[in-house]
Amino acid sequence: MLVTFYLNNVRVSYDVRPDEYLAETLRSHGVKSVKVGCNETSCGSCTVLLENRPAMSCGILSASIEGKHITTVEGIQEEAARIAYFFGEEGADQCGFCNAGYALTIYALKRELKNPTDDEIKDYIVGNLCRCSGMQSQLNAIKAYLKEE
Amino acid sequence: MIVNKYYRASSLEDAYSKLQENPRNTILGGGLWLKKIGQSHETLIDISSLGLNEIKDSKNEVVVGSMVSQRDFENSPVVKALFNDAIAFSTREVMGVNFRNLATIGGSIMGRYPFSDVITGLLPYDVELEFYPKQTMFLEDYLSYKGKLNAILVAIHIKKGQGKGFYKKVKTTALDFPIVNIAVSRVNGQYRIAVGARPAVASLALKAMEYINSLKNPSKEDFAKAAEMAVEELSFLDNKDASKEYRIDLAKVYVRRGLEEVNK
Ligand SMILES: Cc1cc2nc3c(=O)[nH]c(=O)nc-3n(C[C@H](O)[C@H](O)[C@H](O)COP(=O)(O)OP(=O)(O)OC[C@H]3O[C@@H](n4cnc5c(N)ncnc54)[C@H](O)[C@@H]3O)c2cc1C
Ligand code: FES
Ligand code: FES
Repeated sequence: MLVTFYLNNVRVSYDVRPDEYLAETLRSHGVKSVKVGCNETSCGSCTVLLENRPAMSCGILSASIEGKHITTVEGIQEEAARIAYFFGEEGADQCGFCNAGYALTIYALKRELKNPTDDEIKDYIVGNLCRCSGMQSQLNAIKAYLKEE
Repeated sequence: MIVNKYYRASSLEDAYSKLQENPRNTILGGGLWLKKIGQSHETLIDISSLGLNEIKDSKNEVVVGSMVSQRDFENSPVVKALFNDAIAFSTREVMGVNFRNLATIGGSIMGRYPFSDVITGLLPYDVELEFYPKQTMFLEDYLSYKGKLNAILVAIHIKKGQGKGFYKKVKTTALDFPIVNIAVSRVNGQYRIAVGARPAVASLALKAMEYINSLKNPSKEDFAKAAEMAVEELSFLDNKDASKEYRIDLAKVYVRRGLEEVNK
């Protein structure tokens, strides 16, 4: 079946199976920044923005996003570069598998929460797991990034 | 999950008639549990464009459409204002933001999950479920209803009242299922106690509630006795996450603390 949606503000139409998930659709159309870790809606590495909100693309049926806006890290390049800079400064990236999902969640966090406390930041990113680090470096990087503004 | 067809319903009537067409036709909420259990479906019925994603506030109740996401529910000022945020808090305990933006309140109730934070968090309040075709049922009656209700959940009605709530999810790590969860309320002077993930779908501790509600000014000792009664009347089991004994010990402590908390 055909589904039409906006991918990083560009209108696209893709032929999808009724049981196809967005992570698969995006990757099969070359959007390899979307990483599939668990494929069980648990790790958050496949996070995209659905109507500007973080959402696990391995849990979104592609058929369900007719007319909706999807943002991947390609759609927020400038801010993703800033976030990557702070991740680098804090040593928060190692293998890098979780980074694109993180960048999108942090991008949304900045728009949704005003002057968040440490606990509010932790609560917002708890659904993005990093297998390589202890999450403290991510927290430091996010705080530095939010402070920059 | 294997799905042969995807159907976008144009009205509740349309969705319901599609649901009746084949026993393997299924209503789609956020689809996360459907993915997890991985069954095969003839047709998935998408009800997302039927206006079921609104939260309405009125003098006596808050009405939550079944397609409202867990995240919109927990962030809604009218839901937060209910019973010192206790109901919204229980939903905040589910997974992360990127999960709760997808999972729906309707899907969270219809599955009657033995681990559910959403169900336990709602159970000690006056909550009615509204279905299509027209039918209403109290949440506790739906939980004990035998068999599958082949209807569409339209909305949940949460009755307002004066009082406080308490919610506790005991879990090993932030993203885990609960080992046990406890919700206690005191609304319009009446105490209610719900315990879930025992591991069985949440139940009210009716005898303990009757005892504590019969006392004029219950003391700390009375709350402790009610907590003892609650764990005696409810069944607890072992599973890979925790033993029956551990669950009982946890539930006893948190029911007592919950009663003390809502009494403040
Ligand atoms: C990995 C994972 C971890 C989880 N951890 C927790 C946890 O710690 N605590 C917790 O409380 N919950 C947890 N859950 C459950 C979750 O919170 C949701 O309750 C669950 O995913 C169902 O919501 P959904 O919107 O995804 O429903 P769906 O998967 O779309 O639907 C679930 C069922 O409800 C039916 N349904 C949906 N909407 C309607 C309707 N309007 N009318 C009639 N039938 C309907 C569907 O047909 C299906 O049978 C977890 C789920 C997963 C997948
Ligand atoms: S790959 Fe989607 S949550 Fe892990
Ligand atoms: S850097 Fe390896 S998973 Fe996060």
